[in-house]
Amino acid sequence: MLKLIIEKELREIIGSTRFAITFGACSVLLLLSFYVGARNFQISMEQYEASKREDLRKLEGVTDWNMVRDLRIFLPPQPMTSLVMGVSNDIGRTVEIRGSGELNGIESRYGDDPIYAVFRFLDLDFIFQIILSLFAILFAYDAVNGEKERGTLRLTLANAVPRSSYILGKMAGSFLALAVPLLIPMLLGILILVVMQIPMKGDDWIRLGLVVLAGYFYFTVFLSLGLLVSSRTEKSSTSFLYLLVFWILSVMIVPRTAVLLAGRAIDVPSVDQLASEKSRFSASLWQEQRKKMSEFRAPENTPPPKMMEEFQKFMSSLGEEREKKMSEFSERLNEKRLNKQREQEELAFSLARISPSAVFSLVSTTVAGTGIHLKDLYKAEAERYQESYAEFIRGKTGQNPSGGMVFRFSTGDEEKKEPINPHEIPVFNFEKEPLSASFGSISVDFGILILCSLLFFAGAFRSFLHYDAR
Amino acid sequence: MLTTLIMKELKAVLLSPKFSVTFAVASILMLLSVFVGIREYRAESNQYFAANELVRQEMREARNWMMLGNRIYRAPDPMHIFVSGVHNDIGRFSSISSWQPVKLVNSAYNDDPVFALFRFIDFSFIAQVVLTLLAILFTYDAINGERESGTLQLMLSNSVPRAQVIIAKFVGSWLGLVIPLSLPVVLSIVLLFVFRVPMEAEHWIRLALLMGATILLFTFFVAFGILVSTLTRRSNVSFLICLVGWIAAVLIIPRFGIMLAGQLVAVPTVSEIESQQDTFAKNAWDGHMKTMSEKWRKRSESMEGLSEKDRKAKREEMEWTWAEEDRNDRNRLQNEIDENARRLTEDLRNRKFSQERLAFALSRFSPVSAYQLAAMSLGWTDIDLKTRYEDDLTAFRTVFNQYKEQKQKESGAMGGIRISVDSKTGVKIDAGREIALDLTGVPQYTYVRPDLGESIAPVIIDFGLMALYSLLAFAGAFVMFLRYDVRYAN
Repeated sequence: MLKLIIEKELREIIGSTRFAITFGACSVLLLLSFYVGARNFQISMEQYEASKREDLRKLEGVTDWNMVRDLRIFLPPQPMTSLVMGVSNDIGRTVEIRGSGELNGIESRYGDDPIYAVFRFLDLDFIFQIILSLFAILFAYDAVNGEKERGTLRLTLANAVPRSSYILGKMAGSFLALAVPLLIPMLLGILILVVMQIPMKGDDWIRLGLVVLAGYFYFTVFLSLGLLVSSRTEKSSTSFLYLLVFWILSVMIVPRTAVLLAGRAIDVPSVDQLASEKSRFSASLWQEQRKKMSEFRAPENTPPPKMMEEFQKFMSSLGEEREKKMSEFSERLNEKRLNKQREQEELAFSLARISPSAVFSLVSTTVAGTGIHLKDLYKAEAERYQESYAEFIRGKTGQNPSGGMVFRFSTGDEEKKEPINPHEIPVFNFEKEPLSASFGSISVDFGILILCSLLFFAGAFRSFLHYDAR
Repeated sequence: MLTTLIMKELKAVLLSPKFSVTFAVASILMLLSVFVGIREYRAESNQYFAANELVRQEMREARNWMMLGNRIYRAPDPMHIFVSGVHNDIGRFSSISSWQPVKLVNSAYNDDPVFALFRFIDFSFIAQVVLTLLAILFTYDAINGERESGTLQLMLSNSVPRAQVIIAKFVGSWLGLVIPLSLPVVLSIVLLFVFRVPMEAEHWIRLALLMGATILLFTFFVAFGILVSTLTRRSNVSFLICLVGWIAAVLIIPRFGIMLAGQLVAVPTVSEIESQQDTFAKNAWDGHMKTMSEKWRKRSESMEGLSEKDRKAKREEMEWTWAEEDRNDRNRLQNEIDENARRLTEDLRNRKFSQERLAFALSRFSPVSAYQLAAMSLGWTDIDLKTRYEDDLTAFRTVFNQYKEQKQKESGAMGGIRISVDSKTGVKIDAGREIALDLTGVPQYTYVRPDLGESIAPVIIDFGLMALYSLLAFAGAFVMFLRYDVRYAN
């Protein structure tokens, strides 16, 4: 009996005009989002390569490793980043490496090209959120009360069809009729990635698979919700209205409002405040050292080159002392801010998780590596790179790279030195956080989606058992 | 006859069961967006004042003219409550220094990525998403719904001209929706007063224009719904088509247009340009170093053969002239570097500008894009905000630097640290005297917003486009209805 009901659902849905139109639109949009993500990756890659090239070019012809000043590193584009953009366009992509000192990301995509900020991008997260939920609503809104309006519900129940089988069959049938065809554009989309030679590694495929899986769970939430609402209302137009209102609230309103309200409830020290305190502390350090500088005396009768060396060492040691004090101070301030930020995030996102769309967004951006921790991760990786860069420069020049003054004493008769090879500089590699690190939050979000589906379906089940089929 | 028909449509809308729910939701959301916007504006204003106070304090604590730093923050504006545009995406401040060019850094989303994931909610967002959906919900079955319920053929069996029917549909539904929705609009304005948001005359004018644009956008979707309902026989089919059209117009076409332009017109990134500027600067400084060592050699030569006392005397005599010469050389070099930077930036801007023109032309196929662009121009948060500020700040930087140099000269103190190298006495560092700076007369920065006359041109284009689309949709509905088959065989 159950199988029969499922089969009936399948035929009814797939044969309808409704299905033809909506499935066509969904497929087009899904394919579009894969294509756009792939193109975006290619363009980002070109820009990234060009930036690196230009940055190394300014080191051409330099003959002394001491003269290598600021180096720039860039956040490398990655396939998953182009498919689920998250916050990757809002954070600074470039970091200036000097060898010591605090690092800050600058030049975000939206900041450089505000034109993209006007309407933002079409990525998998956006398309899934909008399309999958609408798709589910469009078919589930009249699952029960539509049949009642058409008169077929009482005809079915007049036979010995147990209500429980009926509602189960409705759910399973709708799911199969909608979710399985969706595999086609999904797989075609993946094919697009392969055809366009997007370099997806094994880890990337797993992540993409998780995003698609989350999409399916998200779809199921709206399907079961549709079933629930349709089994609690008499007219299908009413249930559709309620579902549409829920959709707008869930996709558009709740995530933003929750974050804004909760975000402002926690007092996070502003970046400006921190920057000001740091710059004043730095100024006071300089004041302290001015006296020391005025007292510098090279020992008598040292030849000029040796004198410059002594001077360089002196300035370098002063620089190191300044650096140490500054970084201790900065770290303390930064940590305080970071803790407050974490508190703010937790509150904001916990509230936002009322909406299944927010849950989907959170899990897909975390899986893709473009969640809000991307900024801190990038900064941490940049700091690690700075250490290896400083070590490299130390190896070449015997000194720490100084962010301050460098003096060259040229007597005019130095031999023509060999220009340095800029390609010896270690390359910056950015590793995404492994999935295991965010395992906790990913499982929470998947859990919420699954739980919601089960709860909504249980509600639908219960309501249908008492449903007035006349 | 026409007025009767219009009244009938009006009542049909107001008395329909879906009206109360949808009207309540739309009103609450509109008020919510304004409320949240006001809170954000307040928070931003506080942050702005605090930041400026910090800058003033740093300036008071500076002890050296050449090291005097300044930072200019972008001022928050009440219009951001209604249209946030790119305000949170571009940098909030720029430092004003002698060595670095002006650049807006630290956007709100960069500093606090927690807001970047879901972004802000503003009035224009609600208008684009909720109000348009509302329009469609009431008009998707304007014609074919009446056909299905049989009332259309009844109506037309009387001597009611078809033209009047379709016009009445349009006007009646429009009135039935716009008039009630003016209530939350008025309440939003009341909120502005309650929270004492400082609005000037120009703000009110722009806000009024924004509401006008919102009404125009709404009008288009009313016409669109009626059009689709005259093109289809069954109302559930017309609903699907309306929904697909809505998704395309609101969510897809705007973004797609911009992305397409981005792929058709390639523009280098800012880091590429900056690296090119750095390369030029490095080569320029290298050349400068060589000329400088030449110069100093000649100067040492000119002092050959003098006695120790004479040499000291000559050095003291020439100290000021030499310092002047060196300064002039450095300034000339800096000007060359700045000029090159300016040229590269201008080239980048031109390329970006042509990319933008294409992008907006493509995305303006959707009236929603036209609305968003008009709204941003009215709210001073369009994409030129960044270049306007940076140009203005660059001009200010020149004034500020001149002020610093002037004061530097007057005080007679040295800028920075002077390091003297002498083969006899060795290296000496003179870290300069510490002086309290007298900051009277320090140039203040005021940002001059473009007035309405300046921003109006693109706004007129967008208004025109929305009106054109509405007219076309209505004309289409009109023509189709004249030939519509009203029979409903039951």
